[in-house]
Formats: sequence, C-alpha cells, structure tokens
Amino acid sequence: MTDRQPLGELLRDLTPQVLGALAGRSTDFAACEDAVQEALLAASMQWPADGWPENPRGWLITVAERRLHDAFRSESARRNRETHEAALAVSSPHAEEPSEETGHGDDTLILLFMCCHPALSPPSQLALTLRAVGGLTTAEIAREFMVPESTMAQRISRAKSRIRATGVSFRLPSEAERPDRLRVVLHVLYLVFTEGHTSTAGPVLHRADLTSEAIRLARILHRLLPDDGEVTGLLALMLLTDARRGARTDASGALVPLADQDRAAWDHAAIEEGIALISATLGTVAAGPYQVQAAIAAIHGEARSAADTDWTQILLLYRVLDDLSPNPMTRLNMAVAAAMVDGPYAGLAIVAGVEQEEGVDLSHRIDAVRGHLLEMSGDLPGARTAYRLAAQKTMSMPEQRYLERQAARLERETE
Amino acid sequence: MKYLVMLYDAPNIRESMSPELIEQMQTLLAELKESGELVGVEALADPSRTRTVKFPGSVPAVTDGPYAEVKEQMGGFVLLDVEDEQRAIDIASRWPPSVVSAVEVRPLMNPGADPQ
Repeated sequence: MTDRQPLGELLRDLTPQVLGALAGRSTDFAACEDAVQEALLAASMQWPADGWPENPRGWLITVAERRLHDAFRSESARRNRETHEAALAVSSPHAEEPSEETGHGDDTLILLFMCCHPALSPPSQLALTLRAVGGLTTAEIAREFMVPESTMAQRISRAKSRIRATGVSFRLPSEAERPDRLRVVLHVLYLVFTEGHTSTAGPVLHRADLTSEAIRLARILHRLLPDDGEVTGLLALMLLTDARRGARTDASGALVPLADQDRAAWDHAAIEEGIALISATLGTVAAGPYQVQAAIAAIHGEARSAADTDWTQILLLYRVLDDLSPNPMTRLNMAVAAAMVDGPYAGLAIVAGVEQEEGVDLSHRIDAVRGHLLEMSGDLPGARTAYRLAAQKTMSMPEQRYLERQAARLERETE
Repeated sequence: MKYLVMLYDAPNIRESMSPELIEQMQTLLAELKESGELVGVEALADPSRTRTVKFPGSVPAVTDGPYAEVKEQMGGFVLLDVEDEQRAIDIASRWPPSVVSAVEVRPLMNPGADPQ
C-alpha cells in the first residue's frame, strides 16, 4: 500500500462524488454539504489511526448520510418533523457502495453546475466551487483570498441559502440551457485561475495553490466533457499560461515582461501538453474564445524568442477573438501585435480607438500599452509620461514597480 | 476588490450619538457581515491619543498628537471586499450623515500582477 494516493488528495478527489451522491437524494444542499464536511473530518482523523477502508468512497457516503440523518433528527426535535422527513428523500443509510457506478462523473458535473448557478454572485460561485467541488476547507479558501475565515464562511453559507431559496434542484441543466450554464462554469474556473495567477508574483505571496486547483478542476471537467472544445481550450489556456510562471518574475519578485522572459525557465512539458490539447480541438469544432486565447498562448509557447514569434498569426487570432467576444482588453493586446507586424503607429491607432470607447475601466492598461508603443516609435518623453500615468493608476503592486522602473529608465536615457 | 472606507467625523461625535443612530450603523454592519463583504471594522480612539513617530535625522522620535491642525479626524474605518468600486461607494453612502462629515473610499493595492 505504499503507492497509495496521499490522504488529503484522495479526500479532495472524492469530495464532489460524495457530495453529489448525497445531494442527489436530499433537497437540502446546505445540510448535505455540512454532512460531507463532517464525514471528511472523520475520515482524516480515523483512517490514519484505524487503517483505510476497503472502499473509501462508500465509507464517506455512509458516514455522511448518517450525519445527514442525525442532523435532520435533532433539527426535527426542535421543529416540525414532517417537513424534514419530506425534505429527506434518502432511504436508509447504506452499509455498502451504492451500485450506480457510472453516476460519479455526472454527480460531479451536476455539482459544478449547481455551484456556478447564475443566481449566485461571482464571489459566491467561486467560494462554493472551491469548497464543494474542490474540497478545500473554508480556512484554506479564506487564506487564498486574504479575508478572515468568518467572512469566507459567511459567503459560503449565503451561497448555500441562496441555492435553497431559489429552489435549484440537483439535476443537469436541460440541453437548451446547457451552453449558457457551461459558460458560467468555465468563467468561474478561469476566475479561480487568474486569482491564483495574479498573485504568484513576489517572494512573499505565493498563491500557486489556486492556480493548480483551477487546473485540477479544469482537468476533471475535461475528463467529463472531452468533446467540448471550450473546456479543452480553457484547460490548454491554463496550462500554457501557467507554464510561464517561473519566468514571470525575477529573483526580487519584479515583473518580467513576456519579451524579456527567460524561455528556458518555462515549463516545457506543460507547454507541450497545452499545445497538444489545443491542436487536437482546433478545426474540429467551431472555435470559442478560450480556444483562440489558448492558440495565441501556444504560439508564444512555441517561439524561441520574442523576435521569433509569429506575430502575423497572433494578430489574426486577436482579430478572431475580438469578433467572437469584443473586449477592450483584447484590442489592447491586438495593438501590441499590430505594432509588431505593422509598426508602432498601427498599434497606437488601435489604442486611441480603445480609449474613445465609453465605459473602459482599463485606463492604466491603455497608458501602459501606449508607453510601450511610444517607446517603440522613439518618442521617449511621451513614453515616460504614459508609463508614469499608468503607474499611478494601477492597483497591482508588482506592475506599479515595473512601470515606475520603465519611467525611471527612460528618464535616464533622455537626460 | 478590497476597499478601505475611512470614516471622518467631528470630535466628540460619539457623545451625541442617539441609540437610533448606533442601531442604524450596527444594522448596516450586520448586513455587510451577512453578505460576506465585511473584512474588518474598527473605531479609533480619540485623536488626542495619537502618537506620531517621525524620523528627524533618521532617528525615530515620538511626539504627542497629529501635527496637522484638522477639525475632522478619521474616527474609524471599515475594510470591505466587494465586487466593484460602485458597490463600495454605495455602502459608504449609507453611513448616517449625522455621524460622519465625509467618507473616503480608497482601493487597496493588489499584491499580485495581472496575467500576461
């Protein structure tokens, strides 16, 4: 039994399956979730001491069901018994594994759809997904988001009562609503990823945990829906982006732009996996935004240097992406690609266009890109002013340091 | 997105605060706690209890009170984790105007960078 999976990992893998099995039989999701947490706790205490059960999943389901029954029993001692009996459509606790072997995956999928229900706010979707599907504890999630545990606990319990209040039932969305619902699930996983990815900079704060959690969840989803191009695209995008993590910051934690990154420090196995995934899906289905973004990341991943990059292809892909889902951020990236293909003025024209659009919440990005393009064009004082403006407006600490440094460098060069 | 909501009040405001006002603030805080948006809240002691540490000639020196002569001092603060700036402003706007003369809403820096 030496090649056994570590306990924590196994429990986290089983969490959505156990919760799914329970939630499929009771209408009270919050109570199921509590019962599963208790069963996981019991397992982490008893298994190392008493030895592992033959069938860990069956053990957890049995214990969780018992807890669920106990909870309802003590609850009904206080309140009306019948309503709770009705809410609890569970038969007697199982001593063995329930026989529906094929249902595990569906349960996990239903659970994901439930946690990412549009009735919940994005922070609630995020928190509930990490807890119910990811199997993270409330304390772990709170730590990742740097809020007190009580704040996170409140967010999760609010999400659960919202599920109860809106009467979300434990079933797969209908064929008709499925594409929209899946889009939300993908977006939530992407948010988990960026939340982790954005904060991996700096020697003090490492939140790579969230990044790997997002990748783990995307892998599960990909296993459940192997034919969905966007699911594959998202997984590939995560792998290709995360592959650059080691080169994104220098030893002091300062940001290193893509062009200056040490490509030997990229995770080439992850790049290969990402490229393989995206190559297999492109062309077989109508491309969606995640696939296109993954394709762009794949071109960067394949290039041996910034100069060696196929910018024409990247520019083309940004145009496709902007057609699929118009977004000012996409157009700013497109501006950089356009500058590489057609020169800085082509890029600056796109930046000016983005700036004119209303409701753009990206003014520091606009200034940062403009600084870069002005520098390319040789207008160093203009570039310096743009970098300074961007540094003032950004709320990212590493980015601010990076932009200040660019401005200071140009100041020295123009003196 | 985390925001620091700084509450500026006139000195001695607490003496004149009615039970209704206190309740009004407590209700607001309870609501924020319930929504999972409240990261922390603290009231500050009287400005006269302030000690300022300055560094003349790189050596720390402690003096009493803030140097600036200001009528309005920060009396307390609330740390929020909300979806966007508008939400933070909406919450700040709900502070009883008889308690605060002004509320500053300031975003916190993100320790990380955006993906690139």
